[in-house]
Amino acid sequence: MQTEIKNEWIYEQSPNEVWAYLTQADLMALWLMPNNFVPTLGQEFQFITKPIPSLDLDGIFHCEILELVPFQKLVYTWKGGSGDGIFSLDTVVEWSLEKHGKGTKLLLKQWGFKETNLAIFNAMTNGWNQNVLKMMNHLNEKK
Amino acid sequence: MATQTFDAFQVIADPSRRQMMMLLSRDSMTINRLAENFDMSRPAVSKHIKIMYNAGFISITDIGRERYCTLKQDGFNELQNFIDYFDKFWASKLKKLETILNNKQNN
Repeated sequence: MQTEIKNEWIYEQSPNEVWAYLTQADLMALWLMPNNFVPTLGQEFQFITKPIPSLDLDGIFHCEILELVPFQKLVYTWKGGSGDGIFSLDTVVEWSLEKHGKGTKLLLKQWGFKETNLAIFNAMTNGWNQNVLKMMNHLNEKK
Repeated sequence: MATQTFDAFQVIADPSRRQMMMLLSRDSMTINRLAENFDMSRPAVSKHIKIMYNAGFISITDIGRERYCTLKQDGFNELQNFIDYFDKFWASKLKKLETILNNKQNN
């Protein structure tokens, strides 16, 4: 089962240009979401969008900058919930930039989707397979 | 008796419920058998079972005088929805960034 999101994109522009769109609040708002980003390590900021009822998210993503390497790497937390103070979504977003010819290869990763939950899910799937196997054995014995 | 409704994450947040689901992932079990594994009152076990049942994590079948609990997939699908949503979300945002960067160059 998938536990991590990975997305890669090639841009014609240089890493410096792409970096600006990842770290300047007004430029980030153009393609991502309105935000109050300040490029300082440990800085907290928010992205604000419309609520997403299907996921029970109130539309505010709470972030904190964990890593900041100019023109190369940016890591921040990405948390959200229904607004009751509990984060049902508690993940980390990582951006890495690499030179790609004249342009830039931008790699995005998002992880932390409740690994304990996924572990249970996997255990459960295995449990099911075993149950199905047991049932089939049982049926075969009956024949 | 009214039982509080929990979302999938709240259901799974409790260590006892997680343990119950781990046990049920191996095999279906009667409520009594399940309760034997926990150092808590029978009503407390029943309350956890009701919470898991309401959120779609287990089903309950009456066989004779026993009530059997079986794990169900519905509750777990909600967790997968988050991943699917953000996978698409980022792909569309990255595409949008490309459009914006390219338009800027043409101006």
